[in-house]
Amino acid sequence: MQMPEPDQAVIDRRETICRDLRELVAADCVIDSVEGRRAYDADGLSAYRQLPLAVVLPETVQQIAAVMKYCHSKGIKVVPRGSGTSLSGGALPLADAVLVGLGKFNRILDVDYANRCVVAQPGVTNLAITHAVQADGFYYAPDPSSQIACSVGGNVAENSGGVHCLKYGLTTNNLLGIELVTIDGEILRLGGKHLDAGDYDLMGVMTGSEGLLGIVSEVTLRILQKPATQRALLVGFDDTRSAAKVVGDVIGAGIIPAGMEMMDGLAINAAEDFANAGYPRGAAALLIIELDGPEIEVNTLIDRVAKIMDSAGASSLKISNSEEERNLFWAGRKSAFPAVGRISPDYLCMDGTIPRRRLPDMMVRMASLSQKYGLRVANVFHAGDGNLHPLILFDANQPDELQRAEDFGADILRACVEMGGVLTGEHGVGVEKRDLMGIQFTEDDMKQQQRLKCAFDADHLLNPGKVFPHLHRCAELGRLHVHKGKMPFPDLPRF
Amino acid sequence: MSIRAKCHFLICRAFKVFVVGFAAVIRVSFEMINVTGLDDAAAVIAGALEQQQHLGVQAMATKAALGRDADYDEVINVSAFSGIIDYQPDELILTLRAGTPMHEVESTLASANQMLAFEVPDLHKILASQSAGTIGGVLATNASGPRRLTAGAARDYLLGFDAISGRGERFKSGGKVMKNVTGYDLSKLICGSYGTLAIFDEVTLKTLPKPEINISLLFPCDDLSAAVVRIAGIFASPHEPNAAAILPQAIAAKAGIDVAGATLAIIRLEGIDVSVADRAAHLLAAHKEGVKIDIDASTALWQQIRDVDLLADADGDIWKLSCAPASAPAIIATLFDQFDLQFFADWAGGLLWLVGPSGAEFGTATRSALAANGNGHAQLIRDSGNSKDVIAPLQPLPSAHYALHKRVKAAFDPRSVLNFGRMHDGI
Repeated sequence: MQMPEPDQAVIDRRETICRDLRELVAADCVIDSVEGRRAYDADGLSAYRQLPLAVVLPETVQQIAAVMKYCHSKGIKVVPRGSGTSLSGGALPLADAVLVGLGKFNRILDVDYANRCVVAQPGVTNLAITHAVQADGFYYAPDPSSQIACSVGGNVAENSGGVHCLKYGLTTNNLLGIELVTIDGEILRLGGKHLDAGDYDLMGVMTGSEGLLGIVSEVTLRILQKPATQRALLVGFDDTRSAAKVVGDVIGAGIIPAGMEMMDGLAINAAEDFANAGYPRGAAALLIIELDGPEIEVNTLIDRVAKIMDSAGASSLKISNSEEERNLFWAGRKSAFPAVGRISPDYLCMDGTIPRRRLPDMMVRMASLSQKYGLRVANVFHAGDGNLHPLILFDANQPDELQRAEDFGADILRACVEMGGVLTGEHGVGVEKRDLMGIQFTEDDMKQQQRLKCAFDADHLLNPGKVFPHLHRCAELGRLHVHKGKMPFPDLPRF
Repeated sequence: MSIRAKCHFLICRAFKVFVVGFAAVIRVSFEMINVTGLDDAAAVIAGALEQQQHLGVQAMATKAALGRDADYDEVINVSAFSGIIDYQPDELILTLRAGTPMHEVESTLASANQMLAFEVPDLHKILASQSAGTIGGVLATNASGPRRLTAGAARDYLLGFDAISGRGERFKSGGKVMKNVTGYDLSKLICGSYGTLAIFDEVTLKTLPKPEINISLLFPCDDLSAAVVRIAGIFASPHEPNAAAILPQAIAAKAGIDVAGATLAIIRLEGIDVSVADRAAHLLAAHKEGVKIDIDASTALWQQIRDVDLLADADGDIWKLSCAPASAPAIIATLFDQFDLQFFADWAGGLLWLVGPSGAEFGTATRSALAANGNGHAQLIRDSGNSKDVIAPLQPLPSAHYALHKRVKAAFDPRSVLNFGRMHDGI
C-alpha cells in the first residue's frame, strides 16, 4: 500500500514539534519515545504499521483546537484516532503526521431522559453508552461487534453499523449532534438535542468521513427504550440459494427483524467447533433471525417466520425459548471471527454490500475465486441488508499468500460493485479499499467528493492517504473551465 | 416553441427586460427552460456559467414559498425527470427520478404494501400550492412527518443519487443498497439543500413495509408541560409509540376532538393488530383517563397533524420550530407572554408549529426563545404578509457556520448558478 511520500522537512523538525506540542497540552500528553509511539503504530488492520511522528493526547476541546491550529499553521499532517479498532486502516499513522488520540475524552457528560439522548465525549466506548442508561431501561442501538472497545467518536468517523442496523440504522441514523474541531482550530456545534436543523447537513456528511473533515470532540446520541422481548430462530438450509431467497420472503411478508444473519458451511463448522452453540453441522447455510418488541408481537411474528422457513424447505429450525438459548444462538455467530482464526493462521475480513437477491450468484462467484486463488473463504453475512463479510483464510508466513488473499478480496469487492453493490458496508474505505474506489466511482465522482474535502481542509492535512486513491490539489479541483463563446444549448425549447 | 429557442442568448436577455414591465405571466413564460435529463441540464448550466447567470430549479413548484425569495435569470424545470426506474419491495429499495410526483410514488409503494417511513407531509394547504409536489422537492427540503420522531427524516432514507453540480459536471454518490459507507455520505448533504448544490435526477430510497394497523391514544393533560412529561414517560415504557403530538384544546377541536378544558397528548401505536391492542391496553391501564381512537379516525387525525391542516385557516405567519422536546413548554411560555399565537406540537414536543403576527418581531422573539432554551432551528413556512423582507426565513447561521456553508456551496457550485440565495443570503 503506497502512502503519500512523507515530508522529510517535517520529520527533521520532530523534536521541535514535540516541544511546541508540550506547550499546548500537558507535557505527559505528548508521546515522543519510540516505545510509546509503537503502541499507536496500527489500528485493527494490523497488516499495516507505521510509527507516527508524535502522539498527542489532548484533554480538553481547547487543546484539540490548539493542536489543530498549530499543525495547520505549520503545515503538519494530523491523523485522528479513537480506540484504534478500525478494520480499514482509518487510523493508520503517517511518518510525518501528528497522531491525535482521543483516549482521554472518556466521560459521559449528560444523560437526558426527558429528551431521550446521551451527550458523551468521543473516547467513550460504544457499549458504555448502553451501560450508562440500561438500568433505566434504555440502550444505544448501533452495536458494531467491537462495541466493547470502539469509541463513539470513531463510530461517527466510520458511520459504524452492527447486526441490528436493518431495523435500527447505522450511527448516522442515531446521532443528534456533534461538536467538531476543524483543521484550522475552529470549534463548531452541529445539531444538538433537537432533530432537524434547516442548514446543510454537515453532521450527516461528517458521519462516515473517516477523519478527513475534522475531529469530533463531543457527540449527542439518541437512546431508545429497550425492547420488552427478544427471541431468535436458528434455521439450517441445505443450499444457500434457498437461504438467500427466504430472507427476501420474510421482508416481503412485511416483517423487519431486528437482525438477520447468515453463515455458510465453513463458518458454521468453525463456529460450532469454537462455541458449541448447537449449529447444524451438515447445513450449507444457517440463518439467525432475531425479532424484538412487545412479547405478544414477537411471539406472533416468530410463528409467522417459522412458517415461512418451513415452506422454504428449511432442513432444521430451532426457536429460542429463553434468554440463555437466544444468547447461545448468537454465541457462534459472535465468535465467528476468532473461530475462523483457529482454523487458519491468518484471515482477511472483507466488507462489501450487494443487493440481497444477488447472494446466490455471489456464493457461486466466491467458490470459483476460492479455487482460482487456492485459498479458503468462510462467509458471514448481515443477510438482511446484503452486507457480506467473507473471511479469506491464508498464512502470512507463506511467501505470496498475503498478496493472494488481498487480490482475492479485491476480486470479491469488484464482484460486489458489478452486481450493483458497493465496496464497503460498514468498515470504511480507509487505506484498505482506497485503491479500489475507482471501481465504484468515476474520477468525476471522486473529484466532487474531494472538493467537499477542500471546503473543510484545503491543504489536505487531515488524514491524507485515506479513502481517495489520488490526492488532487484543491486549487486544481476548484478550477472551472467555462466554454467561452459556446452557445448555451440553443436547441432546447424554452417555454 | 418559444422565440427564445431560436435567438441569441444576449438578445433574449434584452428582450426579457423589455417584457418584464408588462406582465409577470410573460416573464415566466420566457424564462422557463424545460430539460429532460442531466445532459440537458449540463448544457443549460454551462450556458449559465458562461453568462454568469443565476438559475432557479423547480419541478411542480409546490414548495416555492419555502426559503428566501431569490431572483433568478432563468428557471430550469425538471418536471420531466419523472418515473419509477426500479422497485424491489423485497429489497426495500426504490429507484426513481426526482421529478416523480408524490402521488405516483405513494401509489407505487402502496401496490406492495410499503411506504416511505419518514411520512411525507403534504403542506399544500398552508403553502397555497396544488399538491405534495415531487419526491425531489421532498428530499431537497428534507420534509418529514410525524414518524420522523422514531423512524428518521427524509435524509435517513436517501441511499444514493445521480446529479449534476453547479459546475455542470455529473456525479453520483451513495448506492442502491441499504448499507454503504463508501466515500462521503453526500445523500445527507443534498437532502435539505434546497437545490443549491446540485440538481439530482435518479434517486434511490429505502422503503419499509406499511404497518398493518394504527390506533391513537389521547391523554388529557393540564398543559403543554404536563403533556411533554406524559409523553416522555410513555417513551420510557417498552410500548413502542411511533409518533407523539400535543394539541391544545382549540386546535384539537379543529381536528374534531372534543376534550373539555385540556391539552391533549396523542400517542400513535402501529404494527400488527395483536401487538397494537396489547400495547394500547397496557398504556390505558397505566393512564386511566386515556381514550383510544381506532384506525380510521387515527389515520385522519395524523394526516391533519402531518399536513398542518389544523393551522391552515389561522391568520398570520406560520413558523416551524425544531427544538429539544423538553424545551417546548419554556419556548411557548415565553412567546405567549408577548404574542397572541396558536400552536401545536409534534415529535413529542420537538417540532412546534406556530401561527403568530406577520413581521420581523414574532420571528425574532421566536429565535431568541429558542436560543435561550437549548437552541434549535426556526423557519418561516408561510409568510402571510411581507415578513421575508424583514426576517430571514431560515435560521441565520453563526459566522463560522456561514463561512463553512459558503465553502461547501462553492465546492459544488462555485459560480452560484443553482438556486443562489434560496436558503441564505450569499449561499
